[in-house]
Amino acid sequence: MIFISILIPVFTGLILLLSPEWKNRKLLCAFTTAALLLSVSAVGITLSVTGDKEAVTLFNLTQSLPILFKIDGVGRFFAVLTGAVWVLAAIYSFVYMGHEQKEKCYYGFYLLSYAVLIGLDFSGNLITFYLFYELMSLLTLPLVLHSETKEATMAGLKYLFFSLAGAYMVLFGLFILNRFGNTLTFTAGGVLDLTLIQGKEGLLLAAAFLMLLGFGVKAGMFPLHAWLPTAHPVAPAPASGVLSGIIVKCGILGVVRTVYYLFGVGFLRGTWVQQVWLVLILLTVLLGSMMAYREKVLKKRLAYSTVSQVAYILFGLAMMQPGSFVGAFLHIGAHAFMKCGLFLIAGVIIFKTGRTKVDELAGIGREMPVTMVCYTLLSLSLIGIPPFAGFVSKWYLGMGSVLAEAPVFDVLGPAVLLVSALLTAGYLLPLSIRGFLPGEETAGIKVEKQEPSMLMLVPILILTILITIGGLFPDQIIEFVSRIVGTLFKEVLGG
Amino acid sequence: MSKVLMLAAILLPIIGSIPLFLFKWQNRRAMRVYLEILVCMTSFLVWYLLLKGSAEPFTVVYFTGNLAIELKIDGLSTMFAGLVSVLWPFATLYSFEYMQHEPRERSFFLFYTMTYGVTLGIALSGNLLTMYFFYELLTLVTVPLVMQTLTREAILASRKYMYYSLGGAAFAFIGLIFVIIYGSSMDFVYGGVLELEKIGSRTNLLLLIYVFSFCGFGVKATLWPFDSWLPHASVAPTPVTALLHAVAVVKSGAFAVIRMTYYSYGTDFLRGTWAQDVVMTLTIITIVYGCSRAVKETHLKRRLAYSTVSNLSYILFGASLMTPAGLLGALTHILFHAFMKICSFFCVGAVMSKTGKSYVHEIDGFGKKMPAVFACFTISALALIGVPGMAGFISKWYLASAAVSADNPLAYAGVAALLLSALLTAIYMLTLVVRAYFPGKDFDYAAIERVQDPGVCMWVPLVFFVVVIMIFGLRSQTVIGFLSEIAAGRY
Repeated sequence: MIFISILIPVFTGLILLLSPEWKNRKLLCAFTTAALLLSVSAVGITLSVTGDKEAVTLFNLTQSLPILFKIDGVGRFFAVLTGAVWVLAAIYSFVYMGHEQKEKCYYGFYLLSYAVLIGLDFSGNLITFYLFYELMSLLTLPLVLHSETKEATMAGLKYLFFSLAGAYMVLFGLFILNRFGNTLTFTAGGVLDLTLIQGKEGLLLAAAFLMLLGFGVKAGMFPLHAWLPTAHPVAPAPASGVLSGIIVKCGILGVVRTVYYLFGVGFLRGTWVQQVWLVLILLTVLLGSMMAYREKVLKKRLAYSTVSQVAYILFGLAMMQPGSFVGAFLHIGAHAFMKCGLFLIAGVIIFKTGRTKVDELAGIGREMPVTMVCYTLLSLSLIGIPPFAGFVSKWYLGMGSVLAEAPVFDVLGPAVLLVSALLTAGYLLPLSIRGFLPGEETAGIKVEKQEPSMLMLVPILILTILITIGGLFPDQIIEFVSRIVGTLFKEVLGG
Repeated sequence: MSKVLMLAAILLPIIGSIPLFLFKWQNRRAMRVYLEILVCMTSFLVWYLLLKGSAEPFTVVYFTGNLAIELKIDGLSTMFAGLVSVLWPFATLYSFEYMQHEPRERSFFLFYTMTYGVTLGIALSGNLLTMYFFYELLTLVTVPLVMQTLTREAILASRKYMYYSLGGAAFAFIGLIFVIIYGSSMDFVYGGVLELEKIGSRTNLLLLIYVFSFCGFGVKATLWPFDSWLPHASVAPTPVTALLHAVAVVKSGAFAVIRMTYYSYGTDFLRGTWAQDVVMTLTIITIVYGCSRAVKETHLKRRLAYSTVSNLSYILFGASLMTPAGLLGALTHILFHAFMKICSFFCVGAVMSKTGKSYVHEIDGFGKKMPAVFACFTISALALIGVPGMAGFISKWYLASAAVSADNPLAYAGVAALLLSALLTAIYMLTLVVRAYFPGKDFDYAAIERVQDPGVCMWVPLVFFVVVIMIFGLRSQTVIGFLSEIAAGRY
């Protein structure tokens, strides 16, 4: 069943890529929708029929390297998230991509990327994860390159080389773990063989640090974040939406697997790795917000905001405490929806008016009121104001870290998060304010209503509604995440 | 009977190519058919011998004392002979199409086919002297191939190639003498032939000589700082660069190094000494150096040549770990790199022969016009980088895990070098792919309207190699099982 859910988007994607040019645009869109819905429902069925214990081996790369699939709580969480965002962004693309060239190519790679992401979510061991991780870098490259301008090509290459550099850091860790671990299969609590690592702790910590840094590349962590603000804005808006919403989260998924399923919290907590890592993360939080505050181009501003917000998630994971872990997971979900929504809105603005800079957008609220209301709501959520999902996740992040027994960081962390929240308000809200209240100079000018078509508006509305619901009724999700926490922090909760 | 067949396999292509020189061959088609049959027959003969299993050693000429020209089939020779005998028929097929517009086709095929015999000679040699003999011969028969175009550049390149190779062989010769003096015999015995009581206190001298011979044979395997002949030699026609300068010649160097290390000096004698550190450091430097030069290079074939420099040092690095696991990694990479590199060279060769373009910036947009070639190129590029699921990942996996379990601090540096080199490989290979497929928004496809895929003689080898790369990437257990038998000295 797992294979089927991966193979459907692979086949349909390949059909699109290899077939000659499609004359009928409608047919193309319909085909993509059908393919996507089919694969999403396949994933849904897989999730409901497959138990957590089942592991499926596809084949063996070498005697000791099986390609293995397993579905656990973390995988389910990511799979559901990916499916939701992928479908919504696809619906949006059908209108948005109308004015771009080579649509067929775009949808082909879009489907292939989806397949790879599902594979990534369901990977049962590090080698499978690495396989899909590298494929993901290669297959999302065409999405970044899509417009084929000089700028896009350079950004694409930058993206690719940063990602691969990260992947090779991970690979180093993989080699080390293969030597010093019992198995490469993800196991809650870690796989290290304590008798083998006697006297080699330094090497293992270095390997762990490299892996965190490597996955941090995808998650836009300082100092290897530079590709993100370059690559995300040049892609077409729906692609930027999924890149910022989902692809960066794959770096997070890698971090979760590394810390909680390979090295184990017990091995890493309190070491220099955790401390250096936390310092880098907090720097990223601040740096991202400040850069976003300075940036004039809307999509770039959102990209910097991603750098900062994803570091929140990393912070939650790096504290290695149950509470902040819950916060991190909530923020993964919340941020995926919020940032995807914001990028889609930025796309709407470009699509309708061609304006990209924040300064040019005075009065935009009168031109497209519904869109801008959504923008405002999503912004409020991103800042962390109740009753939206962003508040709930930040609440857990903050509470978790205050309760943590990590000296310095239990105070410094929340403080940085608050400063960054202030900056977030500073870079997001001016657009709403000037959009709705442009001031006197534009008072006399007659504004044209140019609300986008339903296909574009509906995904944005859905995302906004989801964020609101998530903020009002977060219990079920929290309960789900707590179950994951239960398996991971046995020793903490028990003792 | 099968003893004599070994000699026959070596002599068949050498003698069989003489008619090319004797007759005029007005009918080109007849010449091609003759050549292809000749090469295929040799390959069948080789495979017959290999499958039949190890035969008794066969002494061809007996000089004096323990000096003899001797042929033998053991595990390592099976691997190398098996590899070249698969590649040669395909490369010959490819050359037919490539060479049809080039001058002096006959002399090209004369030496090209002779080289096959000589390479088999290296693979099947049973002792150091025999290997040395064929090794020198290999230099001599391949010089005319580098000189093929007779341009000034080609003549200079071939001269450089000759001096480097002969110089290296001279150093290796010193190593040979010492093995004769301090060893029990010159035969290849897994684990080495040195006799410790003969050496006495002269361990350091022997280690120095080992470093000399490593570097000497390392010249052909393009060890830094003796690598610069290879990029120059890429003026030769592509079939030469692809088959000889990515497989037969350079891997003969690596093969000789492995023979010297594992079968003459012996790893027990060398492991943990300063000599091991020296040679390992050299290979690590070469790995990074080759890749960095490849990134800088804009000529397509020279870029791939530098990539070969780096990849051969993967092999030498594996060999210099001096453990069975390291040897396994080296052997795997000899095998897999052969297919990956020959495939990418043939793709580039197809571009050059069909369009005359030979620089990186000239291939914009070719991906659409030569879909088959660039699909093959992309796959070989991904394999070279080491994307899982392709052949390159498997060999790098074995190299790296051997390095990690060698428990040598220098070996960890080697792993880091492998990974850095993988990144650089991605840079120099994928920029080509991106250029070919995404030429830019306003790219004028009309300008390259006449660019198209090559004919059947070229794409059959390409597709074959791609299939092999994929199969090795996905299902390698059988091959690896066989290679690990060799590496453990059991076969």
